[in-house]
Amino acid sequence: MAIKRYTRMEYGSPDEMVFGEARYPVSYGLGQTVGAGVVVPEINFAPRPGAEKNPESLRREYVDYITKDILDRAITLGFPAVQLENEHIFQMVNEPQRYEKPVVAGQKEMMQNYHDEYGIALSIRHTVADPRLAEEGLRVGMDKKHSYPEKCVESIEVAAENGADLLSIESTGGKEVADYAILRQDIRGWLFGIGYLGSIDMAWIWPQIVDIAKKNKVRAGGDTNCAGANTSMFMAGGYLDRDIPRTFAAVTRAIASAKTLVAWECGATGPDKDCGYEGPIVKAIAGKPTAQEGKNCQCAHADLMGNLIAQVCDLWSNESVEYHPEFGGSSVQCWLGSIGYEAALMNMAKQLKQDRLLRDLYMATDRYRSPEAFILAYDNAYKVGQAIVEYGNDIYLRSKAAGMTAARLIEEENKSGKLRLSKHEQDMLRKIITDLSALPEEEGRFQEMCLKAYKDVPLFNPKNYEL
Amino acid sequence: MLDLKSVNFDRVLRRYDIQMETKESPEELAARMVPKDPYLRKVVEDVVFMRSKNITEDVGSALKNYSPEEVIEHGLIKGMDVVGELYGRGIYYLPHVMVAAEVMDKGVKLCEFQMKGARETRGKVVMHVAEGDPHDIGKNIAAVLLKSNGYTVVDMGRDVSIQDVITTVENEKPAILTGTALMTTTMSAFPKISERLRERGINIPFICAGGAVNRAYVESYPMGVFAAKAIQGPALANKTMEGYDWRRLRENWDKLTAAKE
Repeated sequence: MAIKRYTRMEYGSPDEMVFGEARYPVSYGLGQTVGAGVVVPEINFAPRPGAEKNPESLRREYVDYITKDILDRAITLGFPAVQLENEHIFQMVNEPQRYEKPVVAGQKEMMQNYHDEYGIALSIRHTVADPRLAEEGLRVGMDKKHSYPEKCVESIEVAAENGADLLSIESTGGKEVADYAILRQDIRGWLFGIGYLGSIDMAWIWPQIVDIAKKNKVRAGGDTNCAGANTSMFMAGGYLDRDIPRTFAAVTRAIASAKTLVAWECGATGPDKDCGYEGPIVKAIAGKPTAQEGKNCQCAHADLMGNLIAQVCDLWSNESVEYHPEFGGSSVQCWLGSIGYEAALMNMAKQLKQDRLLRDLYMATDRYRSPEAFILAYDNAYKVGQAIVEYGNDIYLRSKAAGMTAARLIEEENKSGKLRLSKHEQDMLRKIITDLSALPEEEGRFQEMCLKAYKDVPLFNPKNYEL
Repeated sequence: MLDLKSVNFDRVLRRYDIQMETKESPEELAARMVPKDPYLRKVVEDVVFMRSKNITEDVGSALKNYSPEEVIEHGLIKGMDVVGELYGRGIYYLPHVMVAAEVMDKGVKLCEFQMKGARETRGKVVMHVAEGDPHDIGKNIAAVLLKSNGYTVVDMGRDVSIQDVITTVENEKPAILTGTALMTTTMSAFPKISERLRERGINIPFICAGGAVNRAYVESYPMGVFAAKAIQGPALANKTMEGYDWRRLRENWDKLTAAKE
């Protein structure tokens, strides 16, 4: 399948972007449409430890407990539309027929019953696990020990054939180099890992997902750089953390957007994945709906952009919560209430034509909370997007341009605006700009340079990327 | 877009990190902690300031005047002590610690080359990431920190089966076992490992950590000792080598980990 690279922006200006509206809305599932005038809450969950004991205990946990609780609460609170997300656990990808199939089918059957009885719009995203190990081989035929690439593809097929409405994955290509680079604050290595190798890996897996989706008349949603940029974001952490500077995390987020875009270039329709905080950038480029998460995902992520990241979302998620009891019901019920009411606020703002005001309030609240929030503010996200499409056909140059644009935006605002940086954040920013400036202008030279520089990185095998 | 010029952002957020930022530089702090001897001082500074290119020459010079054990103890390990202090005070970040540890490791290898017998290890640690879990960055950080603190690490990698863990523990006879997991359904391997170790009469601290892992869960099975961050590993290991068993580590957990959280 040909990959259609983005070389122009789908939006004419940042102000055209707002939550609940995408240039290309997507319909799927049981009466669900995303990006066409409303924000839909997307509830995600994790089974309790031990639920994976056998296929029946896992099915019971996901279907009889989690799905039923969610649907009951959605009706109880009067939410017109809800999307579920099942992020598959290891057992489901390791033995798709035994563990995955009954869960996928059981969830859909129950959703169909509620849709039929109440008319609620429902859909479910199945995010298959990516268990592939770089050291064993990322491509089909390479992993002789576990056959993880084969199992991963089979798992996508099982999901699509048995009840998924939307297919996603958190692909992990290039992570072995990015993890190495992050611990050395090496932006070149991170760019090589995620911007370059990760994009190559996605160009392998995503055409397959798109084909499977088409064959089964479901949607291929999108990816996230959870494996890379979220690692940066969590290590950078909050104001008590000192694992890595937040300027490094901000620049990696911009680079990650050039990778996440690849799913849509391979034909996925969106919405992308909630934990891809790079969503505002890729939405600005492609006009496809984006799922986001922030203040209502504190059960999983304590990020520094809880309000801001709602600014242009189309699905609003809780990220994930382990199933357990709370005073107000089960955890999935409580967090559905949290995201559902926030979506209701956004939708009321749209009805009263105050959505752009609310968007700006979200954005302003966290604009200066961290450099990563700053570059994801929709006006800056748009500028990063412009840098990507300027070099849209070159996965290396566009990743580099995204990183450099983000770094320059932060530098400029720190000098003359309201974005404050610690000394170490400033030092790191200067180093990033110096390092990115020193990179070659041509992909071949960059590849050659990096294959030499990172040849001894543990677990890295260029053959995984046909290099 | 709304005009934000009139906004008083101090009413919206407070940058505690900048408020608490220390004015002391690494150079100032190191100057107070490094030895006076010029040869050892250079080795310490190479570690503290991550001068990988200098370490070979400077360790070589120090070895002409001191034994390998002395260069390790008063040069390389001393350097890591300074790095630890800088990290604790918020002057250094984790990557500084990682790179400094690599410089130290390079120096230790040079010293070991000149030693008659094997360098005495503080203890052996077997490390793994739970079966089905590919997330190994935390384990890798912890491994570097433990090595830089003088421990021998048997790194089993990621996605390791329960049986492989048990076999390795039986063969290697470590003082400590560690396990990390990001997901709720992979961390459930830990109580199974604990059970099988107990069946075999093995009773060592089993330090468990990772995204979904929490203290209550780890303390629900025998031998489990929780670590919130990789940086806590050496403190827990050191106490183990002082004779603390897993129960005593748990009882003193808050005190042992307070400074590093």
